[in-house]
Amino acid sequence: MKIALFIPCLVNQMMPDVAIATLSLLEKLGHQVIFPQGQTCCGQPMTNSGCFNEARNTTLKLLNAFKGVECDAIVCPAASCLVAAKENFHEFDKSQAAQDVIDKLYELTEFLHDIAPIASFKYKFEHTISLQMSCHGLRMLNLATPSESMGPQFNKVEAILQNIPGINIVYPAPRDECCGFGGTFAVDEGAVSAKMGKDKAHTHAATHAQYVVGFDPSCLLHLDGMIRRQLLPIQTRHIAQIIDAAL
Amino acid sequence: MNQSNQYQSTSHADNAAIFCRDENRVDWHSKALWNLREKRDKAAASVPEWEQLRQLGSEIKLHTLSHLGDYLCQFEQKCIENGIQVHWAKDASEHNEIALKILSVHAVKKLVKSKSMLTEECHLNPFLEKHGIEVIDTDLGERIIQLNNQPPSHIVVPAIHMKKEEVGELFHQKLNTPKGESDPTRLTRAARKHLHDQFLSADAAMTGVNIAIADLGAVVVCTNEGNADMGVNLPKLQIHSMGIDKIVPDAQSAMVLLRILARNAIGQPITTYSSFYRGGKVDGEMHIIIVDNGRTDIMQDKILAESLKCIRCGGCLNTCPVYRRSGGFSYNYTIPGPIGIAVGAQHDESNTIPWACTLCGSCSYVCPTKVPLDKIIAHHRRLKAEQGKLPFGKKYYMPAVGKLMSSPTLLNCAMGSARLALKVLPHSLITPFSGAWGQYRELPVSPKSSFDTWYKQHKASNKEAK
Repeated sequence: MKIALFIPCLVNQMMPDVAIATLSLLEKLGHQVIFPQGQTCCGQPMTNSGCFNEARNTTLKLLNAFKGVECDAIVCPAASCLVAAKENFHEFDKSQAAQDVIDKLYELTEFLHDIAPIASFKYKFEHTISLQMSCHGLRMLNLATPSESMGPQFNKVEAILQNIPGINIVYPAPRDECCGFGGTFAVDEGAVSAKMGKDKAHTHAATHAQYVVGFDPSCLLHLDGMIRRQLLPIQTRHIAQIIDAAL
Repeated sequence: MNQSNQYQSTSHADNAAIFCRDENRVDWHSKALWNLREKRDKAAASVPEWEQLRQLGSEIKLHTLSHLGDYLCQFEQKCIENGIQVHWAKDASEHNEIALKILSVHAVKKLVKSKSMLTEECHLNPFLEKHGIEVIDTDLGERIIQLNNQPPSHIVVPAIHMKKEEVGELFHQKLNTPKGESDPTRLTRAARKHLHDQFLSADAAMTGVNIAIADLGAVVVCTNEGNADMGVNLPKLQIHSMGIDKIVPDAQSAMVLLRILARNAIGQPITTYSSFYRGGKVDGEMHIIIVDNGRTDIMQDKILAESLKCIRCGGCLNTCPVYRRSGGFSYNYTIPGPIGIAVGAQHDESNTIPWACTLCGSCSYVCPTKVPLDKIIAHHRRLKAEQGKLPFGKKYYMPAVGKLMSSPTLLNCAMGSARLALKVLPHSLITPFSGAWGQYRELPVSPKSSFDTWYKQHKASNKEAK
């Protein structure tokens, strides 16, 4: 497939390794990957704060970077940015051209599960990983059944990773409580955010896993800061990095 | 410790920061509420049709709300046929005046009250006390906080913020229990004996309403202690206060809500006492006060209107990671937690409670009537922003952030220097953020370059290789 990468600003600027791993794994899977220029922030920090006017320009600039780009899918390794982009594109541009972009948007896990599944993995990954089921991917993109729901149970993240030879997947308790990042929440409500992050970091460490693995870079960035402050024996990795290492 | 009084600020973040200073208490509070969430999960999982029940609960409430006038009129008519006296109150002060008038006619000196967040919302207790009427809250948790001069910190377990030792000390002072007594059973027994005396000496009883049934002209009151029934069945006069949103069409609808209410609240199959009242006692009087108090205003906004589907189970509070770590008194509104933000944000002059939320969405998924709480909370932020009521200096820095983010050149430039400086992620850029990240976390490890730059170099070297 021909895939356009959507690399949100946070990943571009602060976690380029996540983007590199995403590009690498998609190429290993035989896809043609392009990186449209002119991408910027999806507008989430602003719309999440209620500031829709302030979000308009940046959102539309991002949307324009994808309008008319020839591809089968637009793939993003960050769940909350993807959700925000979808919602904001829709909010600020009701045109068919915008809808064409929206229809092609996929979060990486979603893409690897629903659209182009991985046939097999080449390398072993003999480690225990503790999955960070971040809120937006979980409850807005339906990557797995949230713990609140009693309906049919599924988990796309686990379904992809469990095929990696040697991998051992565990969960913190509570399994899918918010890590407390919440964008500007981390600074607006510093004390509660910090307590949530600290609790989350400790519950991941308590699983004795070597890695916290997630699909949302912002949550991982927050947890990484917490883990290092708390001196916990665990490291954060993005799901793209784990998959790329095993392909 | 009277926690509600230690807060000088009305800002949620300020009050939450005070609550968070005592980390052991935060852990204890969070765990006590998470236990309820776990009990709820077990109870919900034991009902195979749980998700269908939620859908049905949502549809029943939506249907009733969209035909509210019709059902309220039917309810009034049926109540009158049943010999019930019906009163309408447009706001809290009308509600309180009506209650006072009914009580004055009967020369009531002591009122026993049960199960009513609505009377809390209307601040009825201080109003009646000012007029010389003694008010006794009879739910054990409510009585505890009443003795402690506090409002509820949770809508279902109002004294959840107090440890048993603190209740023991309070009872020692107010009810003469032995000093140092903290055994819950013995404390409960002491409270029961004390309340028993109150029931026997009361002149009137007042309760809230969990569900009002239009075609029966009946109200349903749910308690686990039987206190509403003790109150209502002893004196001649009974008054029930209900919000206009409590109405459902018929008994079948009420049964659906009864199946989900207690399960979602504390994991019980049903409340121990789920009593239907559809008329006064022989020689007695039954009154119902139907209260609007801003509810029709909420209904004008399509998104906010869904908050009126709430059946007050408290499930969203129990699951909310922010509520559990900031306590019920930090919200600057009678009702705390996600539902408190949903129905209270417009009354919040501190303009901070809509931001007391990470938008994680757990509350919306736990809600038994599918109130889209996270969407409502996000909507409140937008409404506040449009009214120019942003907290935390957002109105000053957000335009700057907007400008920065919308320009790849500016963003690259700023982030490039940030990486170079390696000192900080957000706070060298965005001054209002300063400190909050680094105070609690290590700053991000700075990468060598952006992906943008790496990609250009990578592609360039690829081309050269070819």
